[in-house]
Amino acid sequence: MITVWGRTSSVNVMKVLWLLDELGIPFERVEAGGAFGRTRDPDYAAMNPNATVPTLVMPNGFTLWESNSILRYLCRTQAGGNAFYPEAPEARADVERWMDWTLASMNEPMRVLFWTFVRTPEAERDMDAVAKALVAGGRLWRIIEEVALADRPFLAPSGFSIADIALGGFLHRWFALPIERPDLPRLRAWYERLLLRPAYRTHVAVPMT
Amino acid sequence: MTRLRILGKASSINVRKVLWTCAEIGLDYRREDWGSGFASTRDPAFLVLNPNALVPVVEDDNGALWESNTICRYLAAEHGRTDLLPATPRARAEVECWMDWQATALNGAWRHGFMGLVRRDPAFADPAGIAASLRDWAAMWAILDGRLGTTGAHVAGAGFTLADVVLGLSWNRWLMTPVEARPAFPAIDAWYDRLGPRRGFHAHCGNGVP
Ligand SMILES: N[C@@H](CCC(=O)N[C@@H](CS)C(=O)NCC(=O)O)C(=O)O
Ligand SMILES: N[C@@H](CCC(=O)N[C@@H](CS)C(=O)NCC(=O)O)C(=O)O
Repeated sequence: MITVWGRTSSVNVMKVLWLLDELGIPFERVEAGGAFGRTRDPDYAAMNPNATVPTLVMPNGFTLWESNSILRYLCRTQAGGNAFYPEAPEARADVERWMDWTLASMNEPMRVLFWTFVRTPEAERDMDAVAKALVAGGRLWRIIEEVALADRPFLAPSGFSIADIALGGFLHRWFALPIERPDLPRLRAWYERLLLRPAYRTHVAVPMT
Repeated sequence: MTRLRILGKASSINVRKVLWTCAEIGLDYRREDWGSGFASTRDPAFLVLNPNALVPVVEDDNGALWESNTICRYLAAEHGRTDLLPATPRARAEVECWMDWQATALNGAWRHGFMGLVRRDPAFADPAGIAASLRDWAAMWAILDGRLGTTGAHVAGAGFTLADVVLGLSWNRWLMTPVEARPAFPAIDAWYDRLGPRRGFHAHCGNGVP
């Protein structure tokens, strides 16, 4: 059986659980990260030297970390995976650009917002950092609104894909956090479209902890 | 097929990933100087190609593409270069995970130190912030050093791949940053020597530009 190491509250673990469920693949999950620790133990470090979650362990013993790389690997190797990750180089690049963009651009402002409101006591919150993250985040979500979703229901032209899975975790947080959001109707409609998927509701659109 | 168009100044680390990849593939291209110091990426003609106003962008018969790591993988796939980007899922995943690692863990570590020490950006001038960044940056190299100690060759395994392109450029940046106390990373040093003979290394990676 496939094993996923990582606590369910991690946005990067959520991506992997969501995809596995979309593909109907049973898996075992082992708690690690945050209060569960384990990530600095030698046996964990041998699988993943970064002391982060998730880590994927395949039945044949192959281990992999980096959530986006895990998504692509699962789509390439598991039945049905092609549907979420097309094979032609240009169609594939249309999926991957939004995945890389999520890592490179969206990670930072969403990390600031999440940590401030969910993990930091009110008295200790750095509201200047929040203001900056709201500007940066707002600008990025507007790119999703005006470019990615301008003429299609999901991020990539090929339809629902692992690009939606990679960004869907931050999307839920953006709507669930107590922040002021610009009015972006296509973004909201995309969120509602994802909420129709049981695996998104089970693993991603859950109370933030 | 029309010649590949690359938008982005040759000094940008993310543009250089694409240029080095093109050199490896032997791909002919036409490059235009865009980005700070050159034509503005806020120009509407640029924004239609990349709404993020960042370089690099490439354009070919399939349209415009951005995100440097995605571009490198696209070019290797289009030209059947399974040495740079293996076709078997497991070998491919080894390449991709180190590329993602470069884009997240490693990129997150160096910014403050590099902006303060090399770009001399006043927003990143505080010594404590610089020192913390250099510590984080070195911790990342320790992880890569361990990896290269295991493979004994290249980042993703025996052969040279796109993971070596993106991390070679990152290591060049570290070498070009005035870090006072440099920990020893013998496996990285040996690997970097191995990159020297690659096509495109001297033009785009070890070319004296941080
Ligand atoms: N780029 C990595 C980042 C992994 C990462 O930073 N994970 C966080 C949780 S979202 C983590 O492990 N934090 C430390 C911990 O939970 O102990 C990925 O996408 O997998
Ligand atoms: N994640 C993007 C980042 C691109 C990026 O940050 N590019 C910088 C130069 S290295 C840029 O365009 N800066 C603005 C400018 O030069 O005008 C990628 O890898 O392509």
